[in-house]
Amino acid sequence: MLRTVKPKNARAKRALQARESKEVEDPRTAIFVKGTHAGEKVHGAMKELMALKRPHAISFSRKNAVRPFEDASPLEFWAQKNDASLFVVGQSTKKRPDGMTFVRTYDARVLDMCEVGVDKWVSMSEFKTPKSTPGHKPLMHFASELFDSHPRLIQLKSMLMDFFNGEVIDSVCLAGLEHVISVSLAPTPPSLNSATPADTLQASTSKQDAELPRVHVRAYTVRLLASGTRTPRVELAPMGPSMDLSLRRHAAADPEMLKQAMRRPRLRKQDAAKGLGKKRKNVELDEMGDVRGRIHVAKQDLAKLQTRRMKGLKPARDVAGDGDESDGPGQRRKRRRSE
Amino acid sequence: MDVSDILAAHAEKQKAVTVEKDIPLVIDAGFLTVTDLNPVDAESYNEDLEGYLMSTARDGIQALVGALFSLPTTSSEEGPIAQLPPPTTQLPRAKPLPKPKPPTKWELFAKAKGIQHRKRDKKVWDEEKQEWVNRWGWKGANKDKETQWLTEVPANADVDHDPRKAARDERKARIAKNERQHQQNLARVQGASAQSGTAPNADRKKQIDRTLATTRTSTASMGKFDRTLEGEKKLKGVKRKAKVSADAEKSRDLAIIQKLEREPSAKKAKSSSGNGVLNVRKAIRAASKGKGSAALARESGGGKGKKGRK
Repeated sequence: MLRTVKPKNARAKRALQARESKEVEDPRTAIFVKGTHAGEKVHGAMKELMALKRPHAISFSRKNAVRPFEDASPLEFWAQKNDASLFVVGQSTKKRPDGMTFVRTYDARVLDMCEVGVDKWVSMSEFKTPKSTPGHKPLMHFASELFDSHPRLIQLKSMLMDFFNGEVIDSVCLAGLEHVISVSLAPTPPSLNSATPADTLQASTSKQDAELPRVHVRAYTVRLLASGTRTPRVELAPMGPSMDLSLRRHAAADPEMLKQAMRRPRLRKQDAAKGLGKKRKNVELDEMGDVRGRIHVAKQDLAKLQTRRMKGLKPARDVAGDGDESDGPGQRRKRRRSE
Repeated sequence: MDVSDILAAHAEKQKAVTVEKDIPLVIDAGFLTVTDLNPVDAESYNEDLEGYLMSTARDGIQALVGALFSLPTTSSEEGPIAQLPPPTTQLPRAKPLPKPKPPTKWELFAKAKGIQHRKRDKKVWDEEKQEWVNRWGWKGANKDKETQWLTEVPANADVDHDPRKAARDERKARIAKNERQHQQNLARVQGASAQSGTAPNADRKKQIDRTLATTRTSTASMGKFDRTLEGEKKLKGVKRKAKVSADAEKSRDLAIIQKLEREPSAKKAKSSSGNGVLNVRKAIRAASKGKGSAALARESGGGKGKKGRK
């Protein structure tokens, strides 16, 4: 665990403040780690993924003996130290050749992991086409029905979206839409096709993994052509890198941690008054923009209503000297009965 | 006038930018993402992989671009800027939500009384200098009394009254008071959090208590004959556990009873009450002052032991 430091000057204080958690988060910084042996394919793939992820990417140039599925503590240490929350670990072994592990963290603890094997890889430089500007946001395209139904692929989609596009922005420059990351699957095998989602959850993963379809990751540049309408016509050209991945091991998120990570900030007051988010009863905005509320009062007992006290309204006194002001009709009746 | 040509041309243009799919595409404009939930066409996939992937991607992106271009825009130098809706996909956060700052005592009071927060400018207008100066801090207006060249002194002032020092002391006292209140606020928050059960060093305290409990029972007598320190509390929560099961306990007790019921062994009976009058064992013990028969024999034999001791 890193020691907690108290900033000694204003610059250090600002740097620490920038690391504090925010309501709307910055994009995740990814760290690219090479394992004890990465191999040419994985090495190239990681390099080009990093080129796409820049400037929110950190490369570890040395080899590190790190096995995320066995001991994730070095990752957690690096996450804390570098203020990063995403890892790509490249490791090639005899048992699992050309493996890349995507690791996401929450609060500097590992949230979930997904290992893929790089089956085929074509570098960016092999396509003699224009490339996108570094730092531009990509468009993302996912194609297969499994991205909606199979837990492994839902995780993969979430992971890749977090990797490339996980920043909440309120506006985008339409001229800056330059490239596309397209993630497609091979045709769904019949075993997955017939199985209901509940079955896929229960089934032993090792058998299922072999049957999971191959994942094709492609990057294209976008050309927007005039179409005569407001919407331009889209033409794509391959940009690279292109990768064919096969899904291997994975670690699902701990439900408790995931629940915490999925917490959303409460809507701002202005939005809440407009009725975004949770429906608020009895509060509305009128045409002038004022917030108007309605309150409900329980049924009133008019018999107990305090009216103006006037001499003429007072009941006639039957006992001399009884000047009690709170003498109501009820009390009087009682007294009469007792007499 | 025949407009059919124009209409046809328009329809043609629309056709080029619209995408028809069996299952409509799911567009998340906030994350610039489109998901195509149509099953993959195995035939064209096997025939021409790259071409198929690119054509599906083009269709998806065309739909996404259509959605993005129909969003409300503002113009800028680089081109139109589309205002994006909030994303529909939920991605996990990287860090927990920031905790709201605890209110200070003044803030609580102001809220109870309905006092509105009024922002005070950092600068004030200086009539003499005819410019804005800091209210406090570097060349602050709160130090005017200390820096002015002439100060009025009341007639009844002491001989050693220094108006500059008085003003400075007053200012320093205000600073000290503010700092004290700040510390009190911090302490109050700390106390509140400790009450709610999550003190920062609660874990450490528990750990120390556990270590202390272990050491107290780690002496030869299991802590029974230890000298207690003044003010030392009794160990709490230490209970002896019966390790035996009900059956084992029963058989153990039965064994004890059987042992008691058994006749005293021949050896014991002989030694304890041999001739009835003299208990030899007790006599030896008394004569040797508790040292045993061997020591008695040695002493009577020649006082070897005494020599050795000297």
